[in-house]
Amino acid sequence: MIAKWLRERTGSSEPLMMPGGPSIAYVFGTVLLALLLVEGLTGIALAMFYSPSSTDAWASVAYIQDQASMGWFVRGLHYHGASALVIITGIHLLQTAVAGAYKKPREVVWWLGIVLLLLVLVWSVTGYWLRWDQAAFWAAKVEVGIMSGAPGGGFVKSLALGGNDTGNLTLTRAYAMHVGLISALFVLVTYVHIKLARRHGTTPVKAGGAPTLRWPAQSIRDAVATAIVMAVLIAYVATTGGVALAAPADPGTAFDARPLWPFRWLFELRALAGSAEVIAALAAPAVFGGFLVALPLLDRSDSREPKKRMLWLGGLAGLFAMVGALTVMSFARDANDPTLDKRLAIAEKQAATARRLAAEYGVPATGPLDVYEVAPFSRAKKLFEQRCSGCHGAMSEKRKGPTIADGHGNRAWLAGFLKAPNGDAFWGRTKLAKDEAAMQPVTLGDSDAADLVEWLYAQNGATDLDAKMVERGLAVFDKTCTDCHSRDEGVSGTGPALAGLNSRDYYMSFISNPKSGIHMGVDHSQMPRFDKELSLADRDAIAAYLVSLRSAK
Amino acid sequence: MVDDPKRRGADADRRAFLTRVTCGAIGAGVGYAVGVPVIKLILDPVGKQVVTTPREALDIGSIGKLTVNAPPTRIEIIAPTIKDAWTAQSDVLLGAAWVRRTSETEVKAYSAVCPHLGCAVGWEGQSFLCPCHDSKFAADGTKMTGPSERGLDELPIQIDGDRLKLTWVRYKLGQEKKEPA
Repeated sequence: MIAKWLRERTGSSEPLMMPGGPSIAYVFGTVLLALLLVEGLTGIALAMFYSPSSTDAWASVAYIQDQASMGWFVRGLHYHGASALVIITGIHLLQTAVAGAYKKPREVVWWLGIVLLLLVLVWSVTGYWLRWDQAAFWAAKVEVGIMSGAPGGGFVKSLALGGNDTGNLTLTRAYAMHVGLISALFVLVTYVHIKLARRHGTTPVKAGGAPTLRWPAQSIRDAVATAIVMAVLIAYVATTGGVALAAPADPGTAFDARPLWPFRWLFELRALAGSAEVIAALAAPAVFGGFLVALPLLDRSDSREPKKRMLWLGGLAGLFAMVGALTVMSFARDANDPTLDKRLAIAEKQAATARRLAAEYGVPATGPLDVYEVAPFSRAKKLFEQRCSGCHGAMSEKRKGPTIADGHGNRAWLAGFLKAPNGDAFWGRTKLAKDEAAMQPVTLGDSDAADLVEWLYAQNGATDLDAKMVERGLAVFDKTCTDCHSRDEGVSGTGPALAGLNSRDYYMSFISNPKSGIHMGVDHSQMPRFDKELSLADRDAIAAYLVSLRSAK
Repeated sequence: MVDDPKRRGADADRRAFLTRVTCGAIGAGVGYAVGVPVIKLILDPVGKQVVTTPREALDIGSIGKLTVNAPPTRIEIIAPTIKDAWTAQSDVLLGAAWVRRTSETEVKAYSAVCPHLGCAVGWEGQSFLCPCHDSKFAADGTKMTGPSERGLDELPIQIDGDRLKLTWVRYKLGQEKKEPA
């Protein structure tokens, strides 16, 4: 009723006729429209989060993927929906070709279809760049490199990149193309494509079919086909967890970049072509596209009978078979590369680290590569790894000093040290352990030992102390330790000074010059001085990190 | 079987009805599976603290720089870190406060955000003036003239040793009652 009311007032078209009766062959156009609608809806939602700049692009996609509710699903639908769009476009094209529907008077409909195929591919490429992760960054580098090999390529390259190199303008341009220009062109060309197709009517696929209304016989076929494609798409997205997001674009780290799957055949062709790679990558699509465009001009017989057009259909089948074979070969090449898995695993680990840090701490305004530095002590940990872990790392095979690990300097560590100062985790591997000046195990009753530990622990400036134990511990210290150790600040006995033990200042002083008289002394320390090796800030960063180990588990 | 036109009509009606139901169900199903996640994503930031500013008191300097009963001093409120959706930023300017030392041991702070519609308020020698709609406020923040519904919003401030610790709060605009936004 409402439909009738609308029809009467808007003058929309007459009920559609199917000259040859309903057929499964006609469903693909409707499925494509449904997919287009999905791309539009998901695209609008994603655009509300996405930020096209080299500092923000990856971070905003990571936010969509890992933090916004259902973001991963919507992004997955958008990406895999685009894949479905490419696949169904291919089937639609083949079906149309087999039916001979490109023949007079439908040539223009066919050509507009080719334009739409081209637009879908440009849509994919520009969309892929937007995430600006390692995969997209390196794919963009390669794609632009190929473009620049074409005549006038320098101009095209500079236009696509927005200047001489990848950067902010690359992304703003790709974004404007993706959501603006290409989308507008796509909707416009699709509209004309459908309008013309309807004016000419469907090409009867079987002889002798009686003309029927589109509704309901064709409509139910369209609806069921759409439902099947959508169900497969949604199930695929739900079970695969959507789309990958690699680590942020990093010009200094190699990555096994692969083009999007519709371009894998060109990737393989380039590999096979060797030195002629640029020509292959440019000439092959030109031949393919040229054949598709020329088809209505080449096959001009009146017959739509496939058997009588074997030459042209064979040519088309040959091209599709070649593309298919090259695509399979490309994936097979990767599957047979024994080292690729290892590299991919490293890249995946890097991606997981970057995304975890981005979700937990946010991405610094300075850019996504700084995300690796946002975690507390990330810099100190790196310094420790480079400068300290060889001699102090618990896992280090050539360890020469005491282990430094989680729990370093806490009560248990102090108690363990007092019991066995020359144990393997403490001085055991140093030359000091064999020295006659070496500290001997402190033998005390349990309660005295605990009191002494509490006093030693108090030296780091902790506030979570048992004051009575500290007081008793001081008495134990004065009775047991003062032969070798002083508790006055900056004063040592024959052994190291213990005032401020394991505090940030103490670590700072020790790292700066362990050979100092208040620490190990020149004769007993194998550890080098770091006051010339590391900046004040670096030493302090390590000291703060060592303090943090105390409460690390 | 006799070809009965009436029955054929009934069959066609039934087919059309079933088709309509099936198409409707498929449309609703696909619409639900796509539409709900899309709407959920679009609504994700609603009611969520996407921009997180520090809730704890911020050090705004030493009390020594304020003279008792001097004109109010404008102090910029700088957050050590904020998170804005995906970005973590350091040293971000949040706004400004007007600070007055009323006695040796007492300091008052007023948000420079006009409670009317949120313009920035300035000190004009004798009183605060909001340049947008000419609301005037006395040095102690009380409303004098103009459209503002209430006086300037006092901000929580403590003296910690010789340091001033101010808590930055945004209040709802355009109402008589002072409520955190």
